[in-house]
Amino acid sequence: MKHRIFVANRGEIAVRIIEACDRLGYDTVLGVSTADKDTLAARRAGRVVTLGAPRPADSYLNMNAVVQAAISTGCTAVHPGYGFLSERPAFAELCAEHGLTFVGPSPDALRALGDKLTARRLAESVDVPVSAGGTATSAGEVQQLAEGIGYPVLIKAAHGGGGRGMKLVENSAELAEAWQLASAEAEASFGDGTVFLERFVQDAKHVEVQIIGDRHGHRVHLGERECSVQYRYQKVVEEAPCTVLPEATRTLLYESALRIAEALDYVGLGTVEFLYDVSRDSLAFLEVNPRLQVEHPVTEAVTGVDLVREQLLVTLGEPLSFTQADIRLRGHAVECRITAQDPDHDLRPSPGTVTRWRPSAAGGLRLDSHIYEGYRFPPFYDALMAKQIAWAPDRAAAIERMEQALAAFEIEGVTTSLPLLQRILAHPVYRDNTVTTHWLNGLLTEKVPS
Amino acid sequence: MDVDLEELAAIIEQLDKTEFTDFLYEKGSLRLHVRRGGYIPDNAAQHTAVAAAGTSAPPPAALPAAPAGPISAAPAVAPAPTAVAQNGHSPAVSPGSLPDGHLLVTAPMLGTYYGAPKPGEPAFVKVGDSVAADAVLCIVEVMKLMNSVTAGAAGEVTAVFVKDGDLVEFEQPLFAIRTAS
Repeated sequence: MKHRIFVANRGEIAVRIIEACDRLGYDTVLGVSTADKDTLAARRAGRVVTLGAPRPADSYLNMNAVVQAAISTGCTAVHPGYGFLSERPAFAELCAEHGLTFVGPSPDALRALGDKLTARRLAESVDVPVSAGGTATSAGEVQQLAEGIGYPVLIKAAHGGGGRGMKLVENSAELAEAWQLASAEAEASFGDGTVFLERFVQDAKHVEVQIIGDRHGHRVHLGERECSVQYRYQKVVEEAPCTVLPEATRTLLYESALRIAEALDYVGLGTVEFLYDVSRDSLAFLEVNPRLQVEHPVTEAVTGVDLVREQLLVTLGEPLSFTQADIRLRGHAVECRITAQDPDHDLRPSPGTVTRWRPSAAGGLRLDSHIYEGYRFPPFYDALMAKQIAWAPDRAAAIERMEQALAAFEIEGVTTSLPLLQRILAHPVYRDNTVTTHWLNGLLTEKVPS
Repeated sequence: MDVDLEELAAIIEQLDKTEFTDFLYEKGSLRLHVRRGGYIPDNAAQHTAVAAAGTSAPPPAALPAAPAGPISAAPAVAPAPTAVAQNGHSPAVSPGSLPDGHLLVTAPMLGTYYGAPKPGEPAFVKVGDSVAADAVLCIVEVMKLMNSVTAGAAGEVTAVFVKDGDLVEFEQPLFAIRTAS
């Protein structure tokens, strides 16, 4: 059967998915909003259908429009990319009901992972390290739990994400009120007021493992990435591998990720996220992202595996074409997210027309982007313009190559995060690889000495 | 400038059996452009939606020639290249070049187009019908949900650009209406 893939996304990832489909000989149909009819992805797709108005709720998040469009254009599968509908169990179910292969794990797996408390319990049940925490119902129990964990504690929404619905509690006097407030906010934001407590780890690195599974019971990990450079829980710079991990911890990290994948009978690409406390050399499970990740190119750079191609093949029923023994990590890769955001003004979005766009074409670089000169960057979606990836035999050389790439990159018309990325890469803390997840927030709120 | 009608009919008949969205045929000075799943682009719309083989409407050769010389016929067809809009009396209307006093009724959402309340029943409207502003012109079905599309203004239906079962995209032109003045 000749596959026809419906691409239910936009921006650089739509271009990336179409490119993978082209190389596999699959047809593509792209669903766009009226704001995205002239995008690079729209030009490259086999066919383009307009789903709805620019607002995501009217187009990219409109499940009925997406599934109807996929059926009516004769598609066999739907690739949701990341964000939008990629983690919605109801969407995966709707696809299945209409004979469309959802390029992702099963609805059950999505449901289990969408609830962070359930995911945490799942991790615990297969002996994966989690940070001290749990949930309770009565105010007394909550107090008791917090005492047991030790302050400060973090209240998290079971169905939250991207840092939303979190509250930091310093002492027992604040706890009861914060718990109620967090629950009310979670109810309002996510339609479920379930919240839980976790120990707040002040200085930790964000480390994540790339996994892939097929429909024949094979599961493989593709090494780890470090994504500690974050601003308000949004990743800014990512790299592979995480060079500070001791070998024993790295082994535990991989085993933990694979145990979770096994417990879920995981199919497709997934990322198991952990916090790594460097001073204590301890790992704590955070969550699983059941989809293709923005930062997947750094893993591709060090493994040589085309993750989107493999993701399509395994979800369409092919057995994995490699085993764990075939995966060799080579060198070091860094990714910088170039966004249309103003670093001088709290990274506020800066949409507009891109009048100049001249990336570096030096060796060891890869650029994933949907931007071209004359592109009108729309205000309706996220601010990602491009992902610059640099590979070199070691970390220092990869950083150097990235610095050269960023210095040579000419962008005009919109304000971008380029200066911030250059500042991060030049910083001694980044160079020493002692960055933790709160480092960039601190750097950006620092008072500039005048 | 000479078109062999039988040849043209044969081409379109063959096309009807295949999957395509855009077909360009050039032979000498003849240039035949057939598109489906969309509507006539502005630059190709000077002369109307065109009827294809197997219908009673006039074939492209009967239409006024393009000023540039070669015939450029781009019927607004989907999914089969058959006739869409024909009103034997007034010049046919195309979404790209709407005559004064006409308005376009577009799809309020992506979905499947149905011109009649149920299969086998007469269409809600046909070209030449007078409609009130709140008249239902068609149904757009999205995942079993039927959405009525109303005229929006009183007037006469001068063109229907799609046909039953077509996938219509958001804001795709469905009807032209000459508004009552």
